[in-house]
Amino acid sequence: MTSPILIQLDHSEGSLQRLIGLIERRGFHIDQLAVSNAGTHREVRVTVRGRDDGRCAEVLGRQIDRMIGARRVAPASSPHVEEAVPCPA
Amino acid sequence: MTTAASTLPKQNATPATVTGARLVVEALERQGVELVFGYPGGAIMPVYDALTSARFKHILVRHEQGAAFAADAYARVTGKAGVCLATSGPGATNLVTGIANAMMDSVPLVAITGNVASPLMGTDAFQEIDILGVTLPIVKHSWIVRDAADIPAVFAEAFHVAQSGRPGPVLIDLPKDVQVAAVAAAGFPPSPKEPAQRLDPAQLRRAESAISAAQRPLLYIGGGVRIANATQDVRAFARATGIPAVCTLQGLGALPPEWPGNLGMIGMHGLRAANEAVQQTDLLIVLGARFDDRATGQLAKFAPHARVIHIDIDAAEISKLRDAQIAITSDLRSALRALSPRPPKIDAWREQCIHAAAQHAFRYDAPGEDIYAPALLKELSERAGDSFIAACDVGQHQMWVAQHCRFSTPHAHITSGGLGAMGYGLPAGIGAKLAQPDADVVVVSGDGSFFMNIQELATLKRYDIPLKIVLLDNSSLGLVRQWQELFFDENYSEIDLSDNPDFVTVARAFGIDAFRISKREDVSAGIERLLAAAGPCLAHVVIDPRSNVWPLVPPGKSNSDMMHGDP
Repeated sequence: MTSPILIQLDHSEGSLQRLIGLIERRGFHIDQLAVSNAGTHREVRVTVRGRDDGRCAEVLGRQIDRMIGARRVAPASSPHVEEAVPCPA
Repeated sequence: MTTAASTLPKQNATPATVTGARLVVEALERQGVELVFGYPGGAIMPVYDALTSARFKHILVRHEQGAAFAADAYARVTGKAGVCLATSGPGATNLVTGIANAMMDSVPLVAITGNVASPLMGTDAFQEIDILGVTLPIVKHSWIVRDAADIPAVFAEAFHVAQSGRPGPVLIDLPKDVQVAAVAAAGFPPSPKEPAQRLDPAQLRRAESAISAAQRPLLYIGGGVRIANATQDVRAFARATGIPAVCTLQGLGALPPEWPGNLGMIGMHGLRAANEAVQQTDLLIVLGARFDDRATGQLAKFAPHARVIHIDIDAAEISKLRDAQIAITSDLRSALRALSPRPPKIDAWREQCIHAAAQHAFRYDAPGEDIYAPALLKELSERAGDSFIAACDVGQHQMWVAQHCRFSTPHAHITSGGLGAMGYGLPAGIGAKLAQPDADVVVVSGDGSFFMNIQELATLKRYDIPLKIVLLDNSSLGLVRQWQELFFDENYSEIDLSDNPDFVTVARAFGIDAFRISKREDVSAGIERLLAAAGPCLAHVVIDPRSNVWPLVPPGKSNSDMMHGDP
């Protein structure tokens, strides 16, 4: 299953490398990637696919959220972690 | 790492300006830094030039890895960011294991590296390495400073990032031209403020209801308790609710061993009563823990009957490995102070846990004349009392320390948990002792681990740091040997260290007092001599090479499948 994620990323040195490295290191393929300059930040549209059934895109989203200089803006309904969506066991 | 003197740049400051290197020193001073651990070299020489007038102290280690480990332990004990400093290239890469160690255990560490001058970056220049790229997966954040005028802001943000939320290591890379550049002396920005905690009342009430209704609840205490400085809050919560508790390796000390209902460490080398309680609990209350595989064993069979309340400051840990039915993303202190459940009616469960803990308590009556390391470590920690701090290396001795030592707080147990880095112990002990000089800091190492940073004995001597070292010598890589014995049909491969040098002679060559014990009857006197030593002292303790760590959950097995052996 693929999951699209839209991220606002600052222009700091290494930020794109940091983001892509995070996604792959956490066990996801990057199926699609588009980067555009939005002035004060970059917009990164990425479609990811877990390498195995144990990978949860929602957890990946929260790992992206904690990156300095990155802000996940989609999927929009995801940040309410207190009502965590169960991930595959 | 050194370089030719001919490459040294001139410092460019005029009376109206300040160099980048001087700004680095001022930035560290403004952060309240008292100690920096480091090693000079070509690309960081301007900073070392400025260091001579710094108000903080620099500790010259003998290998950059030692600097990172010492700064890491300093941070664990003080709760403030540790700082390490190295040059470019090999100096920077020698920090990498220490940075990774800090990342795995959520330790606030500020690593500062020099780099070649900006025009040379990307040209494969002498001692050039892309340390920002190398360390991307193992830092919380990192910066290359391209303009000396940015140094105040970068350092303020770096210390804030390292120490806020879930702490972690950061890296600041300083090209040499930035260090020598002259910029107008400008003000330093205030450190960013920590955002106020936002607790969800609905989740708190759900947690309280679940706790009150539980029949077999269990506290699962992790390293977050130390990081959040929440020991007293955990104890108050445990006291108020009467809920039994287990600890991860990093959570040890949150409750003292004598605490009724403290079942001790869980996991691969956990206590049987602790592992069994997890398998029976119906409500696991997770306090700053991350379901590490060494703690859970086979995850699918971990706490099979339990609902989970997970309290953690890092939202990314919630449901990462185990679904949380109730998640509270918060600083532990705030969350625990906001929780006031009606105490559950669990007298029978509590009695069952306490009975199991007594029934499966470790015994220290192993037969024979050889020194029994668990008994020695227990006696050592009890003799030192509440001032005891253990700085462990990695191997069998690390697990014996976790199983048998008494820790009065989580800050008293300094161990490389997530990374499991051999060589951590001695530099970590240096950092811990400098952080808390009044404590009885004891390095517990093995003959394998000790060699990995043995050069730091010179640091001990140079600064006359009264650190104590217990070197448990089984003439082998004991934990690897144990696994080869149990899981590789006794096919012993490259674990024999019987050609070790005479460690007493080695220590004395560094100017460190040292002695050897090899018989059980000499243990008490040896401990007394070690603890009474005025300066640094090493006790070389010869133990049986066939000693194993028990109990043991085989890799990949459930925590209910524990192996037990003779002590």
